[in-house]
Amino acid sequence: MPKTAHVSARMRQALLLAPSLIFLVVFFVMPLVDNSSRSFMTEDGSLTLARYGSFLSDRFYLGIIVETVVLSAAVTAISVLIAYPVAYVLVRKAGRLSGPIIFLLIAPLLTSIIMRTYGWQVLFARRGLVNQWLVTDLGILDAPLRLLNTPGLAIAALVHVLVPFAVLSIASVLQGVDRRLEEGALMLGASRFRTFFEVTLPLTMDGIGTGAILVFMIANGSFVTLVLLGGGFQTLPLLIYQQFNTTRDFALASTMSTILLVIALACLWLQLRLVRRQGA
Amino acid sequence: MTNDPSALTLTAISKKFGGLVAVDDLDLVVEPGALVSLLGPSGCGKTTTLRMVAGFETPDSGQIRIAGEDVTRQPPNRRGLGMVFQSYSLFPHRTVAENVAFGLRMAGASKQTQSDEVRRMLDMVHLTGREDMFPAQLSGGQQQRVALARALVVNPRVLLLDEPLGALDKALREQMQFEIREMQQRLEITTLLVTHDQEEAMSMSDQIAVMHGGRILQLGAPNQIYDRPETAFVATFLGTSNLFAGTVMPHGYLDTVAGKLPLPGPTPDRSHEMFTPGATLTLSVRPERVVLGPDAASLPQGLTGRIIAASFRGSYAAYRIALSDSETEITAYRQADASLGQTGLSIGQSISLGWPIEDSVIVTDAEPQE
Repeated sequence: MPKTAHVSARMRQALLLAPSLIFLVVFFVMPLVDNSSRSFMTEDGSLTLARYGSFLSDRFYLGIIVETVVLSAAVTAISVLIAYPVAYVLVRKAGRLSGPIIFLLIAPLLTSIIMRTYGWQVLFARRGLVNQWLVTDLGILDAPLRLLNTPGLAIAALVHVLVPFAVLSIASVLQGVDRRLEEGALMLGASRFRTFFEVTLPLTMDGIGTGAILVFMIANGSFVTLVLLGGGFQTLPLLIYQQFNTTRDFALASTMSTILLVIALACLWLQLRLVRRQGA
Repeated sequence: MTNDPSALTLTAISKKFGGLVAVDDLDLVVEPGALVSLLGPSGCGKTTTLRMVAGFETPDSGQIRIAGEDVTRQPPNRRGLGMVFQSYSLFPHRTVAENVAFGLRMAGASKQTQSDEVRRMLDMVHLTGREDMFPAQLSGGQQQRVALARALVVNPRVLLLDEPLGALDKALREQMQFEIREMQQRLEITTLLVTHDQEEAMSMSDQIAVMHGGRILQLGAPNQIYDRPETAFVATFLGTSNLFAGTVMPHGYLDTVAGKLPLPGPTPDRSHEMFTPGATLTLSVRPERVVLGPDAASLPQGLTGRIIAASFRGSYAAYRIALSDSETEITAYRQADASLGQTGLSIGQSISLGWPIEDSVIVTDAEPQE
């Protein structure tokens, strides 16, 4: 009797999982597999690695990969540098204000990426709000600045979107750091500055790691921001888009998608290792 | 240092959090080499007092001096103190040796000094050979020893212990009480201990400051506090007490619900005004001072009662006795008689009881000036 109850409980669990599982398989896993498999097949349907060989030996394409990774790394570094102080204030100083601060952090994520990026265009266009302030209202400058389509603005826009992820990862780890540890260091003669570098920072490295990987992964795959704000970057997602829409070289696009996917999976693997070490 | 022989002096310290008074005009002097406990229930201000000495809180008013030097507004890292926390607070990302060496490293000691001192301290706390382990690999008692070594290695001017044994189980706690006390006396290190555990305070301290409502109600040696409590609060917080509140009658008697009880004579700290007829007083009698059975016949109280509950506690037995002719109940302890293995009293039995007059103590009410 208890055994049947057990079995039916498992059945119920399976049934509850089924809709989301089916949805994911049909609309996520299958297209992904279909897409990736295209990169491993020749025109007549036999297996090949030739595309990867020629892609990875082409200096232009290698340059694209490097540029993608470097851009993501830069965005990641800036995001973490901005996010740490914010997380610190959020956890340690904000008190009752921490709710509103979290809201402000998450609010940008609730608007569509198109809307958000368009907002940047409105603000920073040649005759946008910022230039209007600088030239007309404040009179600081004689001629409007070229802000749109500069690398700086594209990076700033990416950082703007990604900082909340870093803040939340760091804050959640910082929350768990026992303040008595810092007090203990102070009692032993460490200044506040040294206490931070000797105790607080090492103990929050996991949060920084998780946040950085998250930001890096999303930056790696970011597309809309770079399309709309330009900046002259040539990254994998942009090139994939070109191959699908302009050149219509689906096989090459699939090859690049798979490479992007591998980078993402490598990041996920790193993150899992971090989390597991944290749990140990 | 010369003009102030005390190691730690708190003068008229007050601290409010919002509208709440945590510490209220508190004075305390700790002599060099002494261990003083701040004992009280949670919220009595003992932890806030310790945190002000440590430098984590700044008093709203008053002065804190360490070895004569005013440190009231000094940051914690400049005060030259050592502290052991209830949660040990060892750095989890550093080894035992690195934890102990931390204070030396901050002071800029050489590598050689660091390793020599670490070895010496770990030897003292019986943890030689665990240098390279991480705190999480040690038991609670071992972690507490590392915390102690870490605090002592820098030769602190005052050692602060914040409920240092609260997280240990009972047997280990007693052992650590002895160990810490022994080490403290051997090193003659001035120590301020915060605890809510009366046994811990009594077994470790030279002096106990019983705190309540942000003030020190009574300061004295453990036996003094136990035998001569000044307030009903102290009498009941430290151990158990039978309290009899009443009105003073002529010829040295107190009229209580339990009957007419003889008062002890005036003592230096119990002025004559307290004995004016019509004044209200409370009499405190420790359960172990209550005499039960035939021996009580010669005692002046002449009380009788009926045993309503008994519990055997190993070396002694505790009885709950309902007094005849009143609603009052009394707690009494009696040593277990080895030859009988029992105390020979049974529930329901009627019994006479009393106590030597000098074993009763006059106490004032619990809440002072509120």
